[in-house]
Amino acid sequence: MTSTRIRLPVPSAPSVAEGAGENPMPATPRASRRSSRLRGGPRAAVYVAAATTLPASVLLAVGIGSAGIGIIDVWQTVVAHLAGMPSPLSPLRDGIVWDIRLTRVLTAAAVGAALAVSGAVMQALTRNVLADPYLLGLSSGASVGAVAALMLGVAIMPTVAAFLGALAALTLTLLLARSLGPISPSRTILAGITVSAFGVAVTSFLIFWNVQGDSYREVLNWLMGSLAGSGWATVAVSWAVTAVIGIPLVLGARVLDAFAFGDTAAASLGIHVTRARWIFLAVVALLTGMAVAVSGAIGFIGLVLPNAARLLVGFRHRLILPLCALAGATFMIWVDTGARTLFAPRELPVGIMTALVGAPIFALVLWRHRSRS
Amino acid sequence: MAVIAVALSGCNAVNPPGTAGSARATASPTSGVVSQVFDSTSADSAATSDAAATGYPITVQNCGFAVTVDHRPDRILAIKSTSLELLLALGLADRVVGAAFLDGPVPAQWRDAASSIPVISTGAPSNEPVLGLDPDLIIAGWESNLAPDTAGDRGRLAAAGIASYVSPAACRGASQPKKLTFPMLFSEFEEVGRLLGVREAATALVAQQQEELAAVPKLDRRVTALWWSSGSDTPYVGGGIGAPEMVMNAVGLENIAAGVDQTWTSLGWESIIEDDPDVIILVDASWSSASKKMRLLEQNPATARLTAVREHRFVTIPFPASEAGVRSVDAARDIARQLAALGFGSR
Repeated sequence: MTSTRIRLPVPSAPSVAEGAGENPMPATPRASRRSSRLRGGPRAAVYVAAATTLPASVLLAVGIGSAGIGIIDVWQTVVAHLAGMPSPLSPLRDGIVWDIRLTRVLTAAAVGAALAVSGAVMQALTRNVLADPYLLGLSSGASVGAVAALMLGVAIMPTVAAFLGALAALTLTLLLARSLGPISPSRTILAGITVSAFGVAVTSFLIFWNVQGDSYREVLNWLMGSLAGSGWATVAVSWAVTAVIGIPLVLGARVLDAFAFGDTAAASLGIHVTRARWIFLAVVALLTGMAVAVSGAIGFIGLVLPNAARLLVGFRHRLILPLCALAGATFMIWVDTGARTLFAPRELPVGIMTALVGAPIFALVLWRHRSRS
Repeated sequence: MAVIAVALSGCNAVNPPGTAGSARATASPTSGVVSQVFDSTSADSAATSDAAATGYPITVQNCGFAVTVDHRPDRILAIKSTSLELLLALGLADRVVGAAFLDGPVPAQWRDAASSIPVISTGAPSNEPVLGLDPDLIIAGWESNLAPDTAGDRGRLAAAGIASYVSPAACRGASQPKKLTFPMLFSEFEEVGRLLGVREAATALVAQQQEELAAVPKLDRRVTALWWSSGSDTPYVGGGIGAPEMVMNAVGLENIAAGVDQTWTSLGWESIIEDDPDVIILVDASWSSASKKMRLLEQNPATARLTAVREHRFVTIPFPASEAGVRSVDAARDIARQLAALGFGSR
């Protein structure tokens, strides 16, 4: 397991210690040596750009759709609702803007932010740049929970069931990875793939067993990810979970930095490593569970955006996490806008779009850090 | 109405090498042989004896697959409601050894006849249970019912002596009808009648359905409609080329999804609201009931403002009648009746 490794500029990819002892600790994060990292003014510019792009994206995306409603009318409608004034549009078109497009765009933003932040946290905790809620089995675990709740009529909310499923899958992945020897990136990925495959099989079985007639269509959309079911309820759930979890995460970002140097280093900084790890993992499971319950299994966002963010602002999580949230939200809004409009009036499951857009971006990320030896 | 010109699409054309591409089915048993002449022997025997028992072997092109039936099928397996109901309408219940993957209850007029037919699977049956039934013909409602992971690959079934036939309306790929019409559907009934040696019954069935279809009242003005089958986040609706479009046309409804070149399609809520259909046709299935769909429409603030929802202009139709088959004409009559009850005038 020592010959192949991915040289990425994060405190990961242990070069010496992998498989040789516990808690491999890279001496210095490679990250600091990269010249592409931005500092000072340029770095601030990145945040200003990200922070302005997100609201601009919301405003533009609500103006795009198969019903040809002028963008000025759309904005006037939104303002009218916010100000409690009568809408300038007909009731039907008003419903399209306020209840359909806006709820969908806002839900997409929260889901994108949650998935990107989940990916960043997973990558720090496992010291593995390839960690991602999708790859480590969380998404498939959440799917099992949500599908079981929906299909078998288990009397709990899909969000709660998805959270429990994600937590169970994550626990299984980490237990399996640890039972194979000291936790290493490759072992964690292999364990994640194993758990993920099992979860996918259970989900498929539940669906196969319960689907009748043409109802598989609905499930198909759901498995491939779709934000079409958005409404004010999903806006409330997704924003509440993302905010309640995201803000403490940013505040506790220094702990994640410590994890990046290894458990021993983290412990020496006075962090209760085991407890902190489980808290973070539970938090990620909750974020992923919410995202899956609201929109189905959507891959690649948690993988691509943290890596892209790290390229720009380095490895400190106080910097990475807010950028991931902003960029993830913006990315998801545009990918979902593409999913609902490119083939209008037909719709494409958004998970297909995130993979189509995300895979080439990730290939580019990998290529930029190709081995130069 | 003795002679029906059969406008055959590529998938269900009778394929005797010696005859021209178009086939004619007639009410008269003695002249009906034109449609399945293959060699002089079978033509002679068909012309001189009871047409119900002879005329075999018959070869037809079915969804791009050459099906040969070499004797009168007596052990038929019907997959999907449309297949079973066509056989029942042709009075063949005693020759059906099994049914599978039924979408809903059989209509009352055939319930007695169907009661003795065993249902071998609630979903698409797999190969072994099908072989165990020892059928000589499988009639399937979907092409996917005849695949290696379901009842079996058509070529391998044929090698095992089991002929297979898919409703031509459900052909996919090159054999998919460009736009399904009632004449195409009726030609399917005729073709099945020939394959099963019950041409008179098929001709009588078609004549009766044509009469009923002609009597369906048409709306006297432009009325737009949405045909919603399933799916809630993204509705799965009748598109522009399949049975829903055919049935809506028959009553004079204008399908808001007519522009989509698909039998069924996923349609976003936004375009549905933008088109604001006058009427919504709700398919009633055990897995997606009409009342559930009605509730969803009324709960979502955006769809609650649709004209059809505000004025409660809903038409419901059972799922088995929403697929192309022997209940399609009935579906049109049923919809016309419900439209009249909603106050729509007809001419």
